Amino acid sequence: MDSLVAASARALAAGDALGALKRVALRDDPPALALRGIAMAQLGEHAPARDLLRRAIRAFGAAEERERARCVVAEAEVALAMRDLDGSTRALAAAAAALETHGDRANASHARLIAARRLLLLGRLAEAAHELAAVDPAALPPTQAAVAGLIAAELALRSLRCEPAQAALARAHQAAYRTGVPALMAEVAEARAVLDRPAARRLAAGAGTALRLHEIEALLASGALVLDAGRRGLAAAGAWQSLARRPILFALAYELAKSWPRDVARDHLIATAFRTRRSDETHRARLRVEIGRLRALLRPLAGIESTPGGFVLAPRAGAEVAVLEPPIAGEQAALLALLADGAAWSTSALALALQASQRTVQRALAELQAAGQVRAIGQARARRWLAPPLVGFTTILLLPASLPGA
Amino acid sequence: MSSSKLSAKPEPVAQPAEIVREYGFAGVSKVAGVSYDGSRVWAATGAQLVAFDPQRGEVARTLDCACDAGTAFDGKHLYQIAESRIDKIDPVTGEVLASIPAPGAGTDSGLTWAEGSLWVGNYRGRRIQQIDPATGAVRRTIESNRFVTGVTWVDGELWHATWEADESELRRIHPQSGEVLERLAMPRGTGVSGLESDGAGLFYCGGGESGKVRAVRRPRATRD
Repeated sequence: MDSLVAASARALAAGDALGALKRVALRDDPPALALRGIAMAQLGEHAPARDLLRRAIRAFGAAEERERARCVVAEAEVALAMRDLDGSTRALAAAAAALETHGDRANASHARLIAARRLLLLGRLAEAAHELAAVDPAALPPTQAAVAGLIAAELALRSLRCEPAQAALARAHQAAYRTGVPALMAEVAEARAVLDRPAARRLAAGAGTALRLHEIEALLASGALVLDAGRRGLAAAGAWQSLARRPILFALAYELAKSWPRDVARDHLIATAFRTRRSDETHRARLRVEIGRLRALLRPLAGIESTPGGFVLAPRAGAEVAVLEPPIAGEQAALLALLADGAAWSTSALALALQASQRTVQRALAELQAAGQVRAIGQARARRWLAPPLVGFTTILLLPASLPGA
Repeated sequence: MSSSKLSAKPEPVAQPAEIVREYGFAGVSKVAGVSYDGSRVWAATGAQLVAFDPQRGEVARTLDCACDAGTAFDGKHLYQIAESRIDKIDPVTGEVLASIPAPGAGTDSGLTWAEGSLWVGNYRGRRIQQIDPATGAVRRTIESNRFVTGVTWVDGELWHATWEADESELRRIHPQSGEVLERLAMPRGTGVSGLESDGAGLFYCGGGESGKVRAVRRPRATRD
């Protein structure tokens, strides 16, 4: 590399982003563009940083595959910090593969960790786990080891496995302390606190008992039939039936589970599931059809029996029925869980992650905003949503270990 | 100042470079320029110039000064590219005696001293410029078709290193036409950031991000 790029990279490595920027501010050759982009990202200027990195990607020659791949990784990390989850992960995957073939293992694993975090935010857990599995944890430098630990912990937590989550967080904690990066240590501490926070409420006799994660895990392992109103589905003996895309069936199951072991009157089921006060024979016929559908779906988990007055849930022999609600009541709980990372989200990114329509998300956000549980910055298309400032999750920009053009 | 054109003739086939020895230093993660003062090899490592004994590999001296790219020695003083200037440094005290602007204004890479001129490699500009060591005025420009890193003169031969992506070579070029006369290919992934001849049978090569200095044998045929 040339002298000013070297001087700029030296300043950047010493944490002097402004000094790095000053040295290459007027240059538009690809290594200078890349350095300017990374310096701008470190200064928190994400949008111009991304623009500069994209220009660098275009400007690097075909032979300079490794330099270009490093810029692709940096650009993906900046996009992640902006919570811009649109677009494909193909470029990032290709960059990881290219870095691997060029022997740049540190940046290759960095790329895979960014891809895993992105997939995690999109709720694509299996793909995230796949990316994480491609990384050799023993070969990671501390900053990457801490991030890998956080990803592993989140994957374990989302599938309600507390012990592996705790082990992963312990690894992340150790690695974070070796880096000495305060934002990273805070992020790990915050993740550890989540384990001790109520994660759901169990409904019993009209009142709610707060459950922590390991208590939920124990409940699921006990063989009970659990209706999870947060994830919208039923679990029993390790099996899971989602009703997230079947709102009427979910409403019926919810009423049946809440009343168990008593039955629920037909009129009540019609009123809640079909949202109508007056029921007639057509409603009764429709109820029979819907109950038939629910019965078919739930067959591996439980039965539904008819009684003189209505229907009753019949779990497998000896099993009890439990109803779990999100710790915060209402449909906005999932939104709050996403916003809890403290970063700014666009409405479209939230909709994508929740598999909901933008309109639904906008409506829920407006209600949350009125209740002071979320805040918005920017206007119109530039509008971004944030959790209240007390929830402290930091987005750490680590950026590629080695700089392009070196 | 005169400028020469690229040769249209096919380039000679690259021979594999024979690496004789590798030098590594504690705490050094980058080597840019290298130079040779007759007994010690100087390596620019960013914020320190490191002089070492090539026989024993031990560090003999370090000078604290900005050193981002090429290094040269005129028999008395060191010249060092830092940011967008060339510093003239007293190798005993480390004092910067004078500074001239580098011809590429910061896009410079290699540096060598020969016959009263400094020769400066321009990395992405793919050229070598001969300049007046007192004023920095450009006397001549030689075009190359590769990114130029280190530059050195030995026995009237002009050699430059190239490092483009994963591929590095030491190339002897015609000092007038820029025609490539001889090529030594470094192993894949072995970058050359700086180049200096010891005046005899060896080249010293800065190893960039590897933090190493490598000694490469100079081909015998060209010395005879």
